Amino acid sequence: MTGKSFQAMKSRFFSTLTLLLFLATGVSLRAEEISVTAGLSRSEVNSGDMAELQIKVSGAQRADVPQQIPVEGLNVRLTGQSTQVQMVNFKVTSSVVYSYIVMPLRTGHFTIPSVTVSADGSKFRTQSLPFSVLDTSGPSSSGGVGATSPSMQPQIPALPGMVGISQPRSRPAPSRPDLERVAFGEINCSKKTVYAGEMVPVEIRYYFDARYAAQVRGRVDFGGEGVLLERFPDPKEGREERNGILYNVLTFRSLLSGVKPGPLDLKPAKLDCEIQLPGELPPGFDDPVFQQLLGGQARFGQTREVAVKTAPLHLEVLPLPKEGRPPTFTGAVGQFDIDIIVSNPHPAPGDPATLNVKIGGKGNFKGMGPPVLTGTDDWRTYPPTDKFDSSDELAYTGVKSFDFTLIAQKPAHLSPGAEFSYFDPQSGKYQTLTVKPLPLEATPGSAVDVPLTATPGKESPPPNSSPSSAKAPSAATPGDQNPIPGATLHYWTTPVLRSEFLRASLSMIIAAAALAGVLWYWDLQARGGSVATRHKRRLSELWSIINNEALDAASTYDAVLEYLEMSAPENSREAILAPLTARRDHFKYGTGGVRPLSQTDRKQLMSELCALVPTPNHA
Amino acid sequence: MHNKRILTILMGCLLVMGGVAPSRAGLAEQVASANAALAAGRPIDALDSYKTILSSPALTVSSSAELWYNRGLAEEKIGNAPAASLSFRRALLLDPGFAPARRQLGVVLGVLGIPFVSGWAETLPAMIHPDHLVLAGSVLGWIGILALIVLLVKGCRRKWLVLAALLLILVGHGGAVIGTLVDPRLSATKVAVVTTREAQELKSTPADSASSTGSALPGSMVRILSHNGAWCYVSVGAGLTGWIPSEAAIPLLPSIKGS
Repeated sequence: MTGKSFQAMKSRFFSTLTLLLFLATGVSLRAEEISVTAGLSRSEVNSGDMAELQIKVSGAQRADVPQQIPVEGLNVRLTGQSTQVQMVNFKVTSSVVYSYIVMPLRTGHFTIPSVTVSADGSKFRTQSLPFSVLDTSGPSSSGGVGATSPSMQPQIPALPGMVGISQPRSRPAPSRPDLERVAFGEINCSKKTVYAGEMVPVEIRYYFDARYAAQVRGRVDFGGEGVLLERFPDPKEGREERNGILYNVLTFRSLLSGVKPGPLDLKPAKLDCEIQLPGELPPGFDDPVFQQLLGGQARFGQTREVAVKTAPLHLEVLPLPKEGRPPTFTGAVGQFDIDIIVSNPHPAPGDPATLNVKIGGKGNFKGMGPPVLTGTDDWRTYPPTDKFDSSDELAYTGVKSFDFTLIAQKPAHLSPGAEFSYFDPQSGKYQTLTVKPLPLEATPGSAVDVPLTATPGKESPPPNSSPSSAKAPSAATPGDQNPIPGATLHYWTTPVLRSEFLRASLSMIIAAAALAGVLWYWDLQARGGSVATRHKRRLSELWSIINNEALDAASTYDAVLEYLEMSAPENSREAILAPLTARRDHFKYGTGGVRPLSQTDRKQLMSELCALVPTPNHA
Repeated sequence: MHNKRILTILMGCLLVMGGVAPSRAGLAEQVASANAALAAGRPIDALDSYKTILSSPALTVSSSAELWYNRGLAEEKIGNAPAASLSFRRALLLDPGFAPARRQLGVVLGVLGIPFVSGWAETLPAMIHPDHLVLAGSVLGWIGILALIVLLVKGCRRKWLVLAALLLILVGHGGAVIGTLVDPRLSATKVAVVTTREAQELKSTPADSASSTGSALPGSMVRILSHNGAWCYVSVGAGLTGWIPSEAAIPLLPSIKGS
């Protein structure tokens, strides 16, 4: 290959490479087309909620967008931007997202208009977006903030699950807020004039400026003498806008009833809480740009303990009228209706039937007594058990069921009826509801099984062993319901665990031992005392016999031998006794045994005896 | 002369055992007043009086089955069947042969929907009060012991007399042991009655938010297995256990310090 041809080939290679790079660049530039889109995080919010609007500019590193979008009834402000860069298969794309906060100032349907965006010298327009703000109800009378001493401690212990209110990002808070507007309470009672015992729903709402962090430190302090207030359930949390300020709202609902007739002034409902309020900014930190960097919040704040109060509540409590009060009125106040059901219309003979009386409506179910049964001549009835099923969290509306157990005393074809009286505060009159008897076929149990007389402690055990037994209800006649006079005392503890029993048992053990000892002693005395005593006594007797000079020789030697047998040492006893035995035999079976011993023989015998038993203990 | 001395010792022991009956003075008027209120159809007043009487110091170590029965009647009349069942059970605890309380307990449990089971362990104390069985058995047993001592010390050669004394010991003290074993008060220390008006939910742990393992009906008896603060761990039977608030299960045996 020559040098000229090499140069030509090199020139073609670079030309081709340049062409390829040009083509590749052209493709890349076509991919970097600019587009602008807009979108809302939510197209529909409740009053007090906020939404986010995003404008996305694709294909450009930056764009010019408005700081605020003017919409009547909405506050739409730019809050920040973010840039996204992507590279896929060596293709680089970039986009910029501009975020706006959409804060409703009123309810209604809105249209966020088209926005003009400038990018790379060209102008683009976004599409318009629909936006709706739904309605929420408002309170009536308001109070404000009470004690604001920072050093004041809450008097009510904190709830186990304290209600915390987070701080949203909204418009910047003023440096010196008015506490009356930062937190306040409102109380709403549907009626100002109530009857004694009438349950009235009461709603207490506490408003906290959403720009400040707040923490509830206790329970709602409300009530007083002359009223009964049900315990507040957990509050509802929500948001509401007032005068251009967004508030977090805690709503407490309960039931209130007057007890004492007359005017009633209730103190404001108080709720202790802590609010973080802005303080004075240090020098150099009061620049608006710096505050915007902090998200519009004052980071140099102080925590204040405040008692948020409502306005006081005045009620007029009217007494229940005495006129027209039915005898079956048991304290129910409200609006009610009645219905009855027989759960088992064909019970077995003697078995109980159950009449279920349902009282429904709204009112003071807790203070309500049972309805009165009518037409109970053929029945024995028992006080009912009751159960309340509420249809709301306040137990203001619902159905209270009374289950009457009925036992037929005669064959019956109809159940008892029911009558229920209540006071209607709307009409200001007593009302009596009556329901007719229902078909019910029941017969009493066998009369044979009924013990009509009950003698305490003497009667047979109850005949029933199950609740459905026919004998069980029959056994208890109305006469048995009378109290039994007298009182026989029994211990709560079993005898073996009582100290008296243990003392008595110990006494018996001692007595038995003493008895055995006494008997043994008496027996001993009867048998002449102990062995030693008897031994000693016998030796003494034998010694007396031996010293009797008038006794014949054989008997004297008998006594001597016995004496030596009892007193001589055992090892030499045989040697001692042998000669004396031979001499005794000589006298006994020979001659001279019937005569007393001669003085010589006696003296010799006594000297031998003293030698054998040197220290006679019988002397 | 010897027999006279033995009898004197025995009488002394019996007096020690029998001379501890609590005083009944001062309660008669209150009881009569409460009974009159109950008979006159004022069960609430009567119940207050019975509560006062039964919580008096004179009736803490011992009590009256009749008073508990009357209290149960008052509670039944005001519609508190679970509490009435507890009162009737306590009356039967004091006197297992107290037929009116047994019958009325059956009625109340029938209303509450709880079966009233009565086995031999309930029948035997109902026939003869455990106190009587223990006392009579102990006396017979001790007579047998004393007789055996006399026979042995005296050297009695009649074997049947010795056997009779041994039999007396066996029968007497055996009866006392049986009387103790069947005494419902012995096993009542760990038993409680659910006195709430609604069925009590059994919790898997001692917390309101715990899951439910079952329920205990009002008036039903539960066995207390352990305590944890304001909760007690109970067994309802058939292996069903759980935690219920202590205030919902009243011990069958009142505290000796006060009911």
